[in-house]
Amino acid sequence: MQLGFLVDLRLCMGCKGCEIACKVENEVPLSTWRLRVKYVDVGTFPETKRTFTPLRCNHCANAPCERICPVSALHYIENGIVNIDKERCIGCAGCVMACPYGAIYIDPQTQTADKCTYCAHRVASAMMPSCVVACPVEANIFGDLDDPMSNISKYIQSHQGNVQVRKPEKGTDPHHFYVGGGNVTLNPLASFRGEGHNLFNNLKHLPIGGH
Amino acid sequence: MVHETIAATNAVVTLDVALPGIVWGWIITMNMWAKSIGTGIIFLGFFLLKKYPEQTGFIRFPIAAISIVFIHIFLFFTVIDLHQMFRFWHIFFYPHLTSAITIGAWMATGFVGLLFGMAYAIYMKKDEALYDKLLGWTVLLAVPVTLYTAGLMAQSTARELWQMPTESAQMILAALLAGTSAMILLGGNKFSDTIKKDLAIILGLAAAAAFILYMAELIFGPMKAEEVAAVLHYIKGGEYTVMFWIGQAMAFIVPMILVCLSLKNQSYYLLKIAAVSALVGLWVSKHVWLVIPQLLPMS
Repeated sequence: MQLGFLVDLRLCMGCKGCEIACKVENEVPLSTWRLRVKYVDVGTFPETKRTFTPLRCNHCANAPCERICPVSALHYIENGIVNIDKERCIGCAGCVMACPYGAIYIDPQTQTADKCTYCAHRVASAMMPSCVVACPVEANIFGDLDDPMSNISKYIQSHQGNVQVRKPEKGTDPHHFYVGGGNVTLNPLASFRGEGHNLFNNLKHLPIGGH
Repeated sequence: MVHETIAATNAVVTLDVALPGIVWGWIITMNMWAKSIGTGIIFLGFFLLKKYPEQTGFIRFPIAAISIVFIHIFLFFTVIDLHQMFRFWHIFFYPHLTSAITIGAWMATGFVGLLFGMAYAIYMKKDEALYDKLLGWTVLLAVPVTLYTAGLMAQSTARELWQMPTESAQMILAALLAGTSAMILLGGNKFSDTIKKDLAIILGLAAAAAFILYMAELIFGPMKAEEVAAVLHYIKGGEYTVMFWIGQAMAFIVPMILVCLSLKNQSYYLLKIAAVSALVGLWVSKHVWLVIPQLLPMS
C-alpha cells in the first residue's frame, strides 16, 4: 500500500476548512500549521484573479527529512506515510532544513519537529484524514496509489498530463499531487512576496522556540 | 487591489505558509567556526611536528589543549542548538546512519577521546612517542569531523547553494585557514623564520583558494539553478552584500595581502594581524553563506 494525496486546484475555493480541521484534529499549537492554504493574487485591478493552493507534507518516497534525521524520529510506516516519533526527536531541526517544501516546523510546546502525517492515527482506524472530510467541494482526494481502482488512482489516470507535483527537480518523489496547478501556484519563486504583505496576519518570521 | 506585482507573472503572494525564519543561525556559525580551529590546529600541528620535529616539540601540549577547548565550544553550541538538548544521547542509542549529524557526532566523540589521550600522553606521562602515535589517528578523524558539516549542508536539499564538493573544499580550507592562524598566534616568536614562512604560505594559499571558490560561486552559481540565482541576490546588492564583502575582505583578501607583505618584509607582526583578520573574517563569511539560502521562500 502506498497512500497518496491529490488536490484538484480547479475545485478549491479557498475556504480554509482543511486548515482548521487539521488544527483541531491534531491539536496544532497557535502560530504553527501542518497544512496551509497559500493564495496568490494575479493581475492588476480590475483584471485580477486569486489562486488557492493547499500545502502540506508531500510524504516523499525519497524523503530528505527521513534521511537527515539522526535518531530515526522521522520514519516510514508500511502504508508509505512519513511519520514522526516525537518522543525520540531531539529537536535538531535538520528535517526543517532538509524539507524542500517548508512542511516541517518545531512545535513550540513540545520543542520537537512536527508536520502533516496524513492523519496516520485516523488512517489506522480506516478513516479519512480530517482535511479530506472537511473539504466541502471534495478537492482533497486521498487513497492508495498502488490500487488502480482507488479514487486517487482513477483521478490521476483520468487527468493524465495535468497532474503535477511540487518541485519535481528535487528528486524527492512526492506522493502529493495537484491537478490544475501552474507556475504561479506551485513555484515559490514565480510570485513576488512582499514582507509583511499578509492579509489576515502580520507574521514575518515565527519564533523557532526556546532552547 | 494588488499592491505589488512582478512583470514575469504579474503575481503576488498575499498569504502563504509562514516563513520558518533562520533555523540555522549564529549558533551554527559558531559551531563551524570553532570546529575549524579545533581540527585545523591538529592538521597544522601534525604538519609542523613531521617537518620540523626538533624545533616544534613545544607545541605538542598547546595544540592538544587548544583543540580540546575549541572542539568543546563546537560541541557546546551544537548541543544548545537542539530544542531538546537533554535528549542528545538519542544519537548514540537510536542512531540513523544515513544522517550526517549522526556520523559527525560519532566521529567527533572519537576525536575528543583521542585528544584527551594526547593531552594525557604529553602532560601526565611525558610520552612523546605515544602522543605522536595518537596524533596520527587524530588527524585521520579530524578529516570527517571537518567534512561532516558539508555533508549535513548537502543533505539540506532545499539549498542548492550548499553542494557537497564545494562545501567540503570550503570546510577543509577553513580548517587550514583557522588552524594556521591559531598556530601563528600560538607560536609567538618561538618559531624559526623557515616555519613562519611555511605558515605564511599555507595561510595565503588557503585564503586564496577559499576566495576563488566563493567568487566562482558568486559569478557562476546562478547557472546552477533558479534558486541559487535568487539566493545570490542577497549578496549581490541585497541586504547581506556589505556583510558578505566584509567577510571576504577580512577572511581572505586582507590575509592574502598581509601574507605577501610579511614575506617581503619578513615581518611576523603583519602575519599576526593577518591571522586575527582571517579568524574574524572566517566567522563573518561563514555566517553569510549559512544564512542567505534560508531567506528564500519554499512554497
